[in-house]
Amino acid sequence: MNRRQFVRILAYGLSGSLLPGVLDAAESDDKRRLQFTFAQIKYRGGDWNPHPLAVTPLLEELMARTSVEAANAKREVTLSDRDLFNYPFLYLAGKYEFEPFNQEEVETLRRFLSYGGFLLIDDALGQQGYGFDKSVRRELQRIFPGNELKRLPSGHAALRSYYLLRRVGGVRIASPNLEGISIGTSTPVIYCQNDLGGAWERDQLGNWTNPCTPGGEPQRKDAFHLGINIILYAMTENYKDDLIHVPFIRRRLTR
Amino acid sequence: MSDLYILGALPWWLVALIAGAAAALLVRQFINLRERLSRGQTTFLTLVRTCVYAGLIFFLLGPALIDKRVTKLRRPLTLLIDTSQSMGFPASAKAGAPDKPVNSRLDLVRQKLTAGQTPLLQRLNRDYDLHIIRFGTGTEPIAPENIPRLRPQDPGTRLIEVLQSTAKDPAARSGMIVFTDGISNGEAKAVDGASIGAPVFTVGVGETQGFTDLRIASFGAPEFAFRGREFKIELTVQAFGLKGKSVPLFFNRGKNLIATRNITIDADPFEQKVTLSFTPKELGTHTFSVSLPPQPGEQIPQNNQREFKVDVGRDKIRVLTLSGSPAWNYRFLRMALKQDPLVELVSFVFLRTPTDTVDVPENQLSLIPFPIDDIFLEELKNFDVVVLDDFSYRAYFNPVYLERVRDFVRDGGGLAMFGGARSFDNGGYGDSALREVLPVELDGKGTFQARGEVQATLTPAGKAHPITRLLPDSKANEETWRKMPALTGVNPVRSVRGETLLTAAGDGAQPGAPLLAIGRFGKGRTLALMSDDAWRWNFIAVGNKETPQNHLKFVRQSIRWLAQEPAFEQVQIFPIATTQPGEKVPIKIKVLNDDFTPVRQAAVQVRVFSPEGEPIVVPTAPEGEEGEYGGEFTPTREGIYRVEAEASASGKTLGKDKNSFTAAYSYGEMDDGLPRLDLLKKIAESSKGEYISINDWNDRTFDKIAAKLEQIAPSEIVEQRQVRLWNNLWPFGLILTLLSIEWWMRRKWGLI
Repeated sequence: MNRRQFVRILAYGLSGSLLPGVLDAAESDDKRRLQFTFAQIKYRGGDWNPHPLAVTPLLEELMARTSVEAANAKREVTLSDRDLFNYPFLYLAGKYEFEPFNQEEVETLRRFLSYGGFLLIDDALGQQGYGFDKSVRRELQRIFPGNELKRLPSGHAALRSYYLLRRVGGVRIASPNLEGISIGTSTPVIYCQNDLGGAWERDQLGNWTNPCTPGGEPQRKDAFHLGINIILYAMTENYKDDLIHVPFIRRRLTR
Repeated sequence: MSDLYILGALPWWLVALIAGAAAALLVRQFINLRERLSRGQTTFLTLVRTCVYAGLIFFLLGPALIDKRVTKLRRPLTLLIDTSQSMGFPASAKAGAPDKPVNSRLDLVRQKLTAGQTPLLQRLNRDYDLHIIRFGTGTEPIAPENIPRLRPQDPGTRLIEVLQSTAKDPAARSGMIVFTDGISNGEAKAVDGASIGAPVFTVGVGETQGFTDLRIASFGAPEFAFRGREFKIELTVQAFGLKGKSVPLFFNRGKNLIATRNITIDADPFEQKVTLSFTPKELGTHTFSVSLPPQPGEQIPQNNQREFKVDVGRDKIRVLTLSGSPAWNYRFLRMALKQDPLVELVSFVFLRTPTDTVDVPENQLSLIPFPIDDIFLEELKNFDVVVLDDFSYRAYFNPVYLERVRDFVRDGGGLAMFGGARSFDNGGYGDSALREVLPVELDGKGTFQARGEVQATLTPAGKAHPITRLLPDSKANEETWRKMPALTGVNPVRSVRGETLLTAAGDGAQPGAPLLAIGRFGKGRTLALMSDDAWRWNFIAVGNKETPQNHLKFVRQSIRWLAQEPAFEQVQIFPIATTQPGEKVPIKIKVLNDDFTPVRQAAVQVRVFSPEGEPIVVPTAPEGEEGEYGGEFTPTREGIYRVEAEASASGKTLGKDKNSFTAAYSYGEMDDGLPRLDLLKKIAESSKGEYISINDWNDRTFDKIAAKLEQIAPSEIVEQRQVRLWNNLWPFGLILTLLSIEWWMRRKWGLI
């Protein structure tokens, strides 16, 4: 065991005891090759982590349902972290307004998203034009000036990457649709206002933290399905738009 | 016999002036003498003086005696005989008896010149200074006794140019007789009979009335086509004397019939444009033909067929990727392949393993069943490269299907295996049909390592190989690889069978462990990247504010090398231009080592296959440029020649390449056999000669031509001798005598 491995294990032990569910993905399992790490952005101001226990249930679902080998817990990163690009999937969540990213962070995120990275934005408040939503739209305008968030069509590959989704779940249905920013044929930014994290979150005893209204458990299930779909979309891009899939999916959707 | 001519030594006006003055003197003399002498004496003396003056004036006019002698000479005459290949076509439109084939046009000419009791050739030789020339694209003087041995051999006819150049010879200026069918091709200039410069007597051979022929006239086909894309062939079918018939047009690839088109001949002459199309599915050079079956009574069945070759290349490299699960390596591999305009990607990502459970009915999933049979039994041959990306077959299909992949590579396909926890030994490939295919020996342990950093390091082979050559400059390339982001996962292998291009350095792997290896299996190529982390060369580089292009280029070059794109072939035959039979064809080959350095001492075997398939070995030798070898071949006849080159060094085969070239005359001599009698009439008319059909030739024709030649330029040569009368002594003696008589008579009559 070298010095680096020792430090990592030590960090794992400390962080694991203090913050259950927050682990270094690379050390979570020696024998598994982890293809996916759920990295959540820590930002200044507001509440960057409205549902601290939301990710683990999603990752458990992801591993139970799909072939993706994922780290058991999320990774917390800032936009100025040197290893940010080790995690091509980023999750940005919050309820309230937050401080503007500095220029370097804006440029980093622009570079991240323009060259293959992916950002899932989850509004835990669900109020358009207020709080987190206001800050998100402001920052996205700075990152991609002139390229606004647009409603994703119902046939978007993110809604077909694993489950054939007809509804967007979440704690509440603030919007029945997803929004996104597309560059060419790719959509590196997907924005959900329905508080997906709230629907994914369980407490230490395994109980759901937040009820889903008005749809109840089916709505929660939709939120999990959407989370899995978005992760698979990030890792396969428009794979499900390939010609070989199209007739098959069309047949299933028309049944 | 001599004739008197006035040559005109003085101008006429001066002579007239002198004559006037003389007349005036005579009148004055007569008046003076009459006063002193009788009329008779006066008249006598005046007459004598008149004679003197007349004599003087006569001599002033320049009288001369011309003596003419006529000599009859043998006129030069040039006889031109067309020996182009079209003169081998039948002379008559009438079908011959089965046991007696119809005479060719040249046979008929030979007969006309040499047959009979007094053969035409003999008469011509008797009456003329005969020069005999055979012609096609050029000319050759021949002796009369060689006429029976003439063969229709020339690949083209430059009728007008031959006539023009022959007319410059003095022996031909007085006239030429041309035996030809009038088919003229390959002329540099437009037909212009007036500029020939000598009378031409054209003797037309062949018949237009009753001419029966079915032929493929104009023809256009591409030399290059893309696999999977339709190409078109446009041609014109012409028919003479076949009105009312219906004939099939066959379109073949090699001996396989591709399509048939029915042609209904409803006119005479008949012409119809036809467009055919074909979608090639296999790469390489393919020989195609279009043909019309020979018709009864057809005179020239040789022009019923056209053969052509098409080099079928790929417009896209078709890549099949099988990924064991969604992963960033797939994401960035897909991005690189999708950005490559030369690649057509079909990918399968196994989103669910058999142990994964789903919480919805199957119809609410977008998963499609992996079409194992379709892919491995049907479609595999249509791909150029298969990529197994951290994929294990074990959970999804029987290993028997991997035998198909092995055969695919053996037949020329490309196989790449990318590492990961499901790959190499971890994926069970050590016990599969792919074990012998991969460029690495598996260690049987399956210990994928994903701890610590692994830095890629170029090997000497990697420094030169096109896969790892990211920058043209060698040092800059090494520096680029040195700066490439580290990987974090490695599949250890026992050894490398092929070439190692990258080795691992760093704490994530054994120092010097192979990271990227390439090899060959059968006709195909293989690549093994012992990591599932190549995506980091892209995205981590972006994070370091460097370019992702190195990863994209690495993927692009790997795929091209695997697909054996021409620029990535180790043995390459340079393109060979279309040539003519008899002309030397240089054949040049480039030979590269496995690491793509030039081979100095390679054994290069080149074989050229004639249109009949007969192999001819072409010796080769190294040329000026290192790694280049060359040889020469001379095609002897028209057709498509296939070239195969194989090179080896130190007993190891480096590769093969195929190419082909066409040897064809550009004249199209055998394409169109219809005699051009109109052209011959035009030449005769414009050159003041005469057109005669060979079938109308008889004894009177010979006399008629002789008369016309005589009329144009008589064959009599007139020799003449001139005796000038004024520069002799006797005219002066005569005048002196007359003056003496006058003096003596004047003295007698008392005037002096």
